[in-house]
Amino acid sequence: MSEKNKSDMLRAPFKLEYDYERSTGPIIGKFFEGLSNQQILGTKNGDNVYVPAAEFDPITYEHLSEFVELPETGTVKSFTWIDQPRKHHLINKPFAFALIQIDGATSSILHMITNCNESDIEVGSRVKVSWSEEKTETIKDISHFELINE
Amino acid sequence: MIDAAVIGVGQTKYDSKRRDVSVGGLVREAIDNAMKHANVDWDAIDAVILGKAPDMFEGIMMPELSLADAIGAVGKPVLRVHTAGSVGGSTSVIAATHVTSGNFDTVLTVTFEKQSESNATWALSPKYPYSPHINAGAGGYFAPYMREYIRRYNAPENIGWIVAAKDRQNALKNPYAHLQIPNIDEKMVADTPMLWEPLRYLESCPSSDGACALVISNEKLAKGRKAAWIKGMAVRSEGTLSAGRDEVNPQGGQDCASDIYKQAGILNPKDEIDCAEIYVPFSWYEPMWLENLHFCDLGEGWKLTENGTTALDGDLPINMSGGVLSSNPIGASGMIRFGEAALQVMHQANEYQVDGAKLAMGHAYGGASQFFAMWVVGNER
Repeated sequence: MSEKNKSDMLRAPFKLEYDYERSTGPIIGKFFEGLSNQQILGTKNGDNVYVPAAEFDPITYEHLSEFVELPETGTVKSFTWIDQPRKHHLINKPFAFALIQIDGATSSILHMITNCNESDIEVGSRVKVSWSEEKTETIKDISHFELINE
Repeated sequence: MIDAAVIGVGQTKYDSKRRDVSVGGLVREAIDNAMKHANVDWDAIDAVILGKAPDMFEGIMMPELSLADAIGAVGKPVLRVHTAGSVGGSTSVIAATHVTSGNFDTVLTVTFEKQSESNATWALSPKYPYSPHINAGAGGYFAPYMREYIRRYNAPENIGWIVAAKDRQNALKNPYAHLQIPNIDEKMVADTPMLWEPLRYLESCPSSDGACALVISNEKLAKGRKAAWIKGMAVRSEGTLSAGRDEVNPQGGQDCASDIYKQAGILNPKDEIDCAEIYVPFSWYEPMWLENLHFCDLGEGWKLTENGTTALDGDLPINMSGGVLSSNPIGASGMIRFGEAALQVMHQANEYQVDGAKLAMGHAYGGASQFFAMWVVGNER
């Protein structure tokens, strides 16, 4: 038996996959629906406004149901630059993963910033949503964010 | 050991698809109901214990992390429990142990399954490269044990139909129950197609979405109010396919039952326990567990089913709420048994209350009949 055949004996293909279906519920569901209409919706609890919309207040655990619409602009709170995207990334040119605080929100959303150089971004940079052509009622309805000059 | 009692039981409406809520919303529905029942606020909760069956059931890895806000665990100790189908029972025991240990005054515990987001049979029977894919699921796995029970004790085939009809008749009195089948009777069960010999379609549990939560406390909150005091609780385990193992009457189940009876000072469970909620996902498991839990001698279980002892108006009512045969959100199913036992001794089981119940048992099993969790609760400390 060849060396190759010996090693094949020790392997067997094992493909495990299943398409799950997620119920988003009334709060996250409405947030996604808003994205498909090019709206940024947050949930409000006193002085706190959560984007992405939170179903439960992360501090007080209360049910949240009051929505507010926020602008498409925000501020970079933190980022990391991806110079050589891999095939599983959603953007196939250099981009940044960033935490972005939408104007009027008190929490940050994780998304991507592209069409710029690494040296163009800093904490505090101003960004604006770039909407996707195709609407799927998912987070992908935001294609990415882009830097803006104000 | 410090005395502990259930002071709140909360459930969701069980259904095949609760598409109206997220996983967090589903879990929170049970928690809100339990905290309302217990009349406590978040300030009273010292720790949160979450249980559910395999993560592959919903495809959410470590749900205790993403659910931290929904279950009010932020800033508090949180623990996740997993022991397959028995998890609702073992989670209840572990939560209660957090109180009896003296480490916490009041613990919130919650279990759930949202089966509509996936397919439990797929998750339980993946295609492995080294064996033919049988896609059997739980029913196919347990059917041979039921056939062996029937063979050993020469039980008549209608016993399974009696259990299936009886539990669904009880479910008609429980607004939370998933299956509500008007006019259900033995004949309707017997006329359904055979799934896995000897099990017919209506002798099997449904797939349900749902959650169940309990608030468990010591005397600080439980004294002087309606409470289900825990008189004995235990968990036991066995290997999956070890030689000499008797899956029809597992040693782990026998030992677990003996342990809780000893703790509770029960010498004759059939006479002393007023009613029990036991984990019967397939009809034949009622007589099998009656024997395993020492309610009767070997071979006598099916006779208790046949002569009506286990009916709601019988001497030992079993699964008054409709049981797993009527609602099966897998991860929560054990805790529902434990919570329903508590409701019986709190005399709050409404339409399916057993008159004057003072001592009730909750039971769950899981895996390949290898994990067991049980408790006995009473209306007095």
